[in-house]
Amino acid sequence: MNSHRLAAELRKIFPGDRIITGELERRIYNYDSSFMARFHNYMPDAVVLPRSTAEVSATLRLASEHKIPVVPRGAGSGETCGCLAVRGGIVLDLSSWDTVEEVDVANMQVIARPGVVHYKLNKHLSEYGLFFPPDPGSTRMCTIGGMVANNSSGLRAVKYGTTEQYVLGLEVVLAGGQVIQTGGVKCKALKNVSGLNLTKLFVGSEGILGVITKVRLRVWPRPRARGIAMACFADLNEAPAAVLDVYRAGIMPSGIEVLDASAIRAINLYRPEINLPSSEAILLFEVDGNPSSVEWEGRQISEILGKRAFSLEWATDPDRMADLWRGRSVVAVAAARLRPDGSRIFAGEDISVPLDKVTEALRKIKELSLKHEVPVVNYGHIGDGNVHTAPVINLNSPEEVGRANKLVDDIHRLSIELNGATTGEHGVGAVRNQYARDEHGEAVNIMRRIKEALDPDNIMNPGKLLPPEGDTGGV
Amino acid sequence: MVFEELSGLKEHYLHCVRCGQCRSVCPVFEEVRNETAAPRSKVFLAHMLSSGELRTGPEAAAHFSRCILCQACTRECPSAVPVHKIILAARFMLARKHPSRIRGTIFREIWTRPALLNLAAGLIRCSQSLGLVKMGLACGLLPPGFSLPGRLPRQPALDSLPEITPAAGKATTRVGYFLGCSTNYLYPEIAGSTVSVLSQLGCEVVLPKSLKCCGLPLLESGELEPVAPMALYNLAAFKRLGVNTVFSDCASCTATLKELQAQQLFSGIEVLDLSGLLLELLDSYNSGMKALNRVATYHDPCHLAGAQGITLSPRQLLRRTGVEFREMKDAGNCCGGGGIFAIYHYDLSMKILNKKIASIEETGADIVATFCPTCVMQLRHGLAKHKGTIEVVHPVQLLAQSLILA
Repeated sequence: MNSHRLAAELRKIFPGDRIITGELERRIYNYDSSFMARFHNYMPDAVVLPRSTAEVSATLRLASEHKIPVVPRGAGSGETCGCLAVRGGIVLDLSSWDTVEEVDVANMQVIARPGVVHYKLNKHLSEYGLFFPPDPGSTRMCTIGGMVANNSSGLRAVKYGTTEQYVLGLEVVLAGGQVIQTGGVKCKALKNVSGLNLTKLFVGSEGILGVITKVRLRVWPRPRARGIAMACFADLNEAPAAVLDVYRAGIMPSGIEVLDASAIRAINLYRPEINLPSSEAILLFEVDGNPSSVEWEGRQISEILGKRAFSLEWATDPDRMADLWRGRSVVAVAAARLRPDGSRIFAGEDISVPLDKVTEALRKIKELSLKHEVPVVNYGHIGDGNVHTAPVINLNSPEEVGRANKLVDDIHRLSIELNGATTGEHGVGAVRNQYARDEHGEAVNIMRRIKEALDPDNIMNPGKLLPPEGDTGGV
Repeated sequence: MVFEELSGLKEHYLHCVRCGQCRSVCPVFEEVRNETAAPRSKVFLAHMLSSGELRTGPEAAAHFSRCILCQACTRECPSAVPVHKIILAARFMLARKHPSRIRGTIFREIWTRPALLNLAAGLIRCSQSLGLVKMGLACGLLPPGFSLPGRLPRQPALDSLPEITPAAGKATTRVGYFLGCSTNYLYPEIAGSTVSVLSQLGCEVVLPKSLKCCGLPLLESGELEPVAPMALYNLAAFKRLGVNTVFSDCASCTATLKELQAQQLFSGIEVLDLSGLLLELLDSYNSGMKALNRVATYHDPCHLAGAQGITLSPRQLLRRTGVEFREMKDAGNCCGGGGIFAIYHYDLSMKILNKKIASIEETGADIVATFCPTCVMQLRHGLAKHKGTIEVVHPVQLLAQSLILA
């Protein structure tokens, strides 16, 4: 179908102000945060902004009839080209469909449309004394739909887990336009083991199986108190050991974050008022709960960390805690401040390794950084082995870009070698699907068959998550 | 504001990782609600514009015009990308490649010559008196944004104020008054209050009669070239009168003058924050003040709070007048004015304004004060549309009442 006809058909579904067909505007939908997007032109044929399930369903019927790729998109804050139209087609920008439909306090759940921004949801929930625990660094922009599609987590996953643990049910529009409810058609229960768990199938499916149009999330009571312990180490190797010490003491912090020397410098450059002590590694332990338990855990953690750290700070002052946490949550992009000619790139940034391999992973990443002569900043959710590496490169140098790509490939392969995963929370998209066969082996074939069953024409976000066509793995 | 070529900002736009954090603070994005309005999209297109991948032309110009230049994105950006500077540089590039006769006449010919600007203001005033503007608005010949300024006063401030106003008592300070276009042509009463308050507080106020515009409307329109000569002209005007410090009652003028200083175009003269200056003078003012029996709230102008980081002193100043002060929700959010933005994108501007008006009304205040005459214009327009009875004033007007009633 040519683009004029497509636009005409879409106009039958959407009002004019919710269809984008101009070339300049479509080009704007050519990016997310990924490094890969900088070097490709993934311009969609059209962008639409649905605000009802019926609109999504009608769009998918049209797309299915004409075999047009459909790509769901939230805030475009992802790092894998997951929301980009790598094969053209229609982008569904779901970010303006941002209604919180119901806060069911009695049943501890909330029903939201996909475009609700994470921090806005939690702001809304706070009025009821509730919260949705997963806490991505991109809280100010990422959407709930994007979080579910990528099974996002973030800084507090160590205690509270990832998004999947909170999704009770979904409304999903399938490739042909059929609308289904997962987790029970009318179910409001918190526990439900009836039927195959289709909710879990769609969580983290990155839009390749259907479009998530409604989310039923479990929410938790908001903790009454928080505290943050900051420990500074002269040796990076001490940091993972200190984490294990805390676990062994029977304490489960709500967040455990590590910053290496470069990350510390980047944060101090970005927000000098945070004034982190210069050191080889800093660990941030957040504990939450009621005031007395927070104080007790804070004391215990301080005592344990004191044996390895050269400096310790325990903060319960809300402003100081906000500063410490804010610095950590923006280090991802603040990394670019380290080098005047450098830009931080999002590539190879999300490996996940077993806890007992974190030290080795950090050491080997340093070695790879030296080998490829690409400076990196390391930080991440050390409590669950999720290491974020931020290469900082000169984008004007094609040679340096080439070295960065080699470094990134090595980092991904390192994660598999260390019995880990190429991605802990950012997803696969079009940048990590080349590793799928190595990571999942024969299971990839089952993934393909599930995809084919639900989307026989391969119109749903093609080119993502599964290995590139041609990789049949011997099948 | 910065006066740089787009190519000179390359390192900055390469730093943009397109994380989208700017989406969370942009008032335009909040209304348009799609990626084409996200500040990062402008950085992305500026890159393409600079590399020649994007054609210059009306479509690109329309995209870059859809920004209030409130600078919220620049402040929010974790990668320190000066988004508003990139947008201005893109506008310069587009304006240079596609000169417009109308834009050129307005900003290069009229705005740079005070006599012609006076004449233009006079013509507008006459047209308003004859009902022509109303007619033009009604039949769509004039864009709705032309209704914003309301009826122009009979006389600009510069015509009624002396070049030198002595201190009421013994002069302790001598300060130059940078009278901006909005205060001069739209709100001479603010200028009158500014001069009388400063005089009463012991200042000799020097107001050069030959001042030109600070240059902000030209920068916003992409007409860069006249800005530097105008700045140097204004600097010479103050220096001729032996002035070493200047202030303005207009946040946008002050922000622009500070930026001109950073560009070495307004050097050797100190640009003061009026709210800070007034607080300092009030500390040594012994004649007492009368507490105003009013309830006031305060709107932070983007060019004062955002561009200059001044939020505390205006509130302290209001409290000194004895009013009951009530903070509004999201006081730092833009009102949607932004000079020429409201003219080009009236409907969008009104949507942003409606939220601000709701915040103001929620306070129950009977006065809203703000340190920027353009915000005054925007807020008065919004409150009139909502048929509100809340008065919009500049803090110096309240101070004038408090001092004069003493």
